[in-house]
Amino acid sequence: MTPGRYIYIYIRRAAISVLLLLAGLQTAQAQLKFFSLQKDSIPVFRGFAVSFDLVGFTMMQLSDQGQYEAALRINLHDEWFPIVEAGIGRANHDDDPVTGIRYKTSAPYFRIGIDRNLLRKKHGPYRMYAGLRYAFTKYKVDLSRDVFPDPVWQWDTSFGVAGEPCSQHWLEVALGVDATILGPLHLGWSVRYKRRLAHDDGIIGRTWYVPGYGKEGSSRLGGTFNVIIDI
Amino acid sequence: MKWVNYKMLLLTGLAAAAVGCSSIDCPVENTVAVHYLVCNSDGTELALTDSLSVESKNFHGNPIVLNRLSGSATFSLPISYSHPEDVMTFTFFNDSVSRSDTVWLKKNDIPHFESVDCSAAFFHELTDVRHTTHAIDSLVIKNRTVDYDTRTVHLHLYPKSSD
Repeated sequence: MTPGRYIYIYIRRAAISVLLLLAGLQTAQAQLKFFSLQKDSIPVFRGFAVSFDLVGFTMMQLSDQGQYEAALRINLHDEWFPIVEAGIGRANHDDDPVTGIRYKTSAPYFRIGIDRNLLRKKHGPYRMYAGLRYAFTKYKVDLSRDVFPDPVWQWDTSFGVAGEPCSQHWLEVALGVDATILGPLHLGWSVRYKRRLAHDDGIIGRTWYVPGYGKEGSSRLGGTFNVIIDI
Repeated sequence: MKWVNYKMLLLTGLAAAAVGCSSIDCPVENTVAVHYLVCNSDGTELALTDSLSVESKNFHGNPIVLNRLSGSATFSLPISYSHPEDVMTFTFFNDSVSRSDTVWLKKNDIPHFESVDCSAAFFHELTDVRHTTHAIDSLVIKNRTVDYDTRTVHLHLYPKSSD
């Protein structure tokens, strides 16, 4: 390779680096603007709020699976809301009428994330959120079925595992609304889009219900209806 | 604030619809079987000229699991859900004579679960195969894992050449 060729490559790389740096600065400025707080006389720290999900609770009462879930949210200037959600997810599917399979699990799960209030009037009685969550659970599965004959060989066959250890990590994108009802009491909905990051389903192949995530193989969408109290 | 209330109503409806969605995802290919390939001594495929029947052995009798296969180099046989060893009789027929061999196939059985909506299934790991040698020269395990995969050959069967 000739020296002229080296110089050409050097100049080209330097020019690309400068362009990338300028583009990066512009992006960083835009990011800083996105993350900045509105300038007004309202203090940055506005308190905590606790919330309870009624959708999971209702599912728990009316079906064979559901969860008890609560959350603690920090209010930063009515704009940013770091949040921790924790709950206990349970499934007790007893003796399926078609397949005869029993599935049981009960375990805690945790989510951590942040919401942003998208409304222009940040300090009003209504909020509209967009947010992101990272979630994790570690759970054990009991799976069983009554003894049945092998269809070809006719031997009696038992099917199941007990206490099979499983785990899952996932992300949730949340869109929600929140309305002040009376004093510190708010009510709010959120719709969640869930995406698994990693999972260990043990030796059994797949799991059916994952605490906090819901049923595998079903819709990736979920929802919450929250009773929220400012503290 | 009316527009906010309309939006809240819309989002409420969307949330209710989202929570209500569900589906059943059982696999379409849900047969677990052992796939055999009949081979020449040099390892190439050999289409059977004799016909082959296979009987399984259990306490109810000897049900036929393969009936008079001919002209093919591949075949599949069912595998028991959870019995530690399957015993089968392979019988080769030609115009003048029939020859039978007993095959013992040892395996580990692994319960496989998809959903409470899908039937119970077992996957298997083949651990050993033994056989008598009247018509079969050798049986060799090529792939130990038996699952829903219909393309993987698990055993190579080398028949003795016809006299």
